Amino acid sequence: MSTLKPFSKIPELNSANVLLVENEEQFQKKLADVIVNAEKDVSVGVRLARRLPLPVENEETRPCIDLVVFIINLSFERSFQSVELSLKYVDPGFFLGKVCFLVTGARCWSVSSDRLQSVRKLATSLRCPLLYAEDQTVEGVNTAAARLLRVLKVTAGLTPWATGLSLSTLTRCTLSSDLEGDFD
Amino acid sequence: MMEGRSAMESPVTRLPTRRRTKSYGRSCFEASSRFAYTSGQLTILRIPTTREAPRARNIAERVDPEQVTLLIKNEWKLSYVTPLYRFRHTHLKKYSKHLSAFIAAEKQQGTAVEVGLETGYRVTFSTVLGIAETDEDAETVFIQIQSKPMFAATGDALKVVWSGWLTCVNGSPEYLHSLLPDFVSLPLFCSSGPENITVVVKSWFEKMFDCRFGSLGLDSTSLQWLCALWTGCHPDNNIRYLRLLWTLPTQPPLDVSYTVNPQDAWELWNSVRQEDSVDGTVGIDEVKHFMAGLESHFFRHFKIYLSSGTLRKVSTALGSAQQDGKVKILCSDYLATVLTLLTECAILKMPI
Repeated sequence: MSTLKPFSKIPELNSANVLLVENEEQFQKKLADVIVNAEKDVSVGVRLARRLPLPVENEETRPCIDLVVFIINLSFERSFQSVELSLKYVDPGFFLGKVCFLVTGARCWSVSSDRLQSVRKLATSLRCPLLYAEDQTVEGVNTAAARLLRVLKVTAGLTPWATGLSLSTLTRCTLSSDLEGDFD
Repeated sequence: MMEGRSAMESPVTRLPTRRRTKSYGRSCFEASSRFAYTSGQLTILRIPTTREAPRARNIAERVDPEQVTLLIKNEWKLSYVTPLYRFRHTHLKKYSKHLSAFIAAEKQQGTAVEVGLETGYRVTFSTVLGIAETDEDAETVFIQIQSKPMFAATGDALKVVWSGWLTCVNGSPEYLHSLLPDFVSLPLFCSSGPENITVVVKSWFEKMFDCRFGSLGLDSTSLQWLCALWTGCHPDNNIRYLRLLWTLPTQPPLDVSYTVNPQDAWELWNSVRQEDSVDGTVGIDEVKHFMAGLESHFFRHFKIYLSSGTLRKVSTALGSAQQDGKVKILCSDYLATVLTLLTECAILKMPI
């Protein structure tokens, strides 16, 4: 099965590519529009996918992916299940700073708290950052796009003195120990 | 809008054992509860991940049967209430007079209650003893509002216009201990009747006891708990059907009504239970496996993932619960279990 490998292609000068993976395909379109229009100095490419593995036909024309963002909508259980299934097709080399989780709908009253807890456990076990985004308003989409763009420029090597691995070490998701305290 | 119905014949699927060993460098005890913050982020509560399996208990031994009939068979709209300041169970008569005067005053002002109907209201506060389970729970308070026509002869039966009750069943002991001395916590408020009277009653409570009301919705985990717990009661009390209502986010939204034959649901529940045979307790994993079994059966037939939608309503012959906070309890035997779950939901929503 085709896993996504981080170093199988040669990166281009002054460009960055991000892959947005989302089961519902709503938020990724809005994000993609904003990201592509935001950055003028660097040529940013945004690839959209519903899940991994990516189709084999595009293997040749696909550029080198610098950052994979998994978008999870907390209102639907399927969103989380589909991301869990897609994670198998990502090469372990990606998890050294090139994978990020983006969660939408965390403030919704109808969402049970254990769903967010399981996403946090997943992000902690993979040592990846977890970002929260508001997808219903224009400012929310712009803010999320700006954050992703900043992370993308680091992982593509366009920010001097910072690498994806060092950034993810600082921003990785943790579960605080008093919430996971020992009880028998 | 299509409605897919599926009366299941035989979904007896042996679910594969899925044990996810969580290894964060601790011993392999599965925690029997996990911590969560209330919505105000100021209190940490323990959310149980295992619950006692509901046992049929004849509630008539503990609660007056007349009062029980008031509680069941009505559809209640749920709200949560922050702790009440200086609420005394001994002053209920005073509160009744106060509230009826308040409603009359509101009517005079022309706000809230219908203008033009020449009726007065008689309010009765009463305690329902026996619902509270532990010593820390405050006693349940029942409020009934009857309409009193101005020119009726004495002896005419008064019509009940609105009823509501405040209760706390098996409330989290840490939360109840953390309250200051003058506060009484009755976090669950159930109301049934016209919305304008509910608004007036809530504003009276807010003025008298410095509390706040908020609407309580049931999230999908609570609905799944109720679904599993009610199915587990099938051998003692025939549930007659298990109906789940899902809404899928398509254009236009698709409503799916999924009705399961009770015997099949019971067999599926039983097959899930045999893997974890700790008698008398039900774990969240078993509930999740049960729901996954139902969903995968639906997928096999219709190729639709129910988990990409939201669960809106669970109903059996023992009761029904909706995501927007409407609950109906039809069987009094399992009142304690359902109320424990609802009290927990209410406490979790506290903005403190």
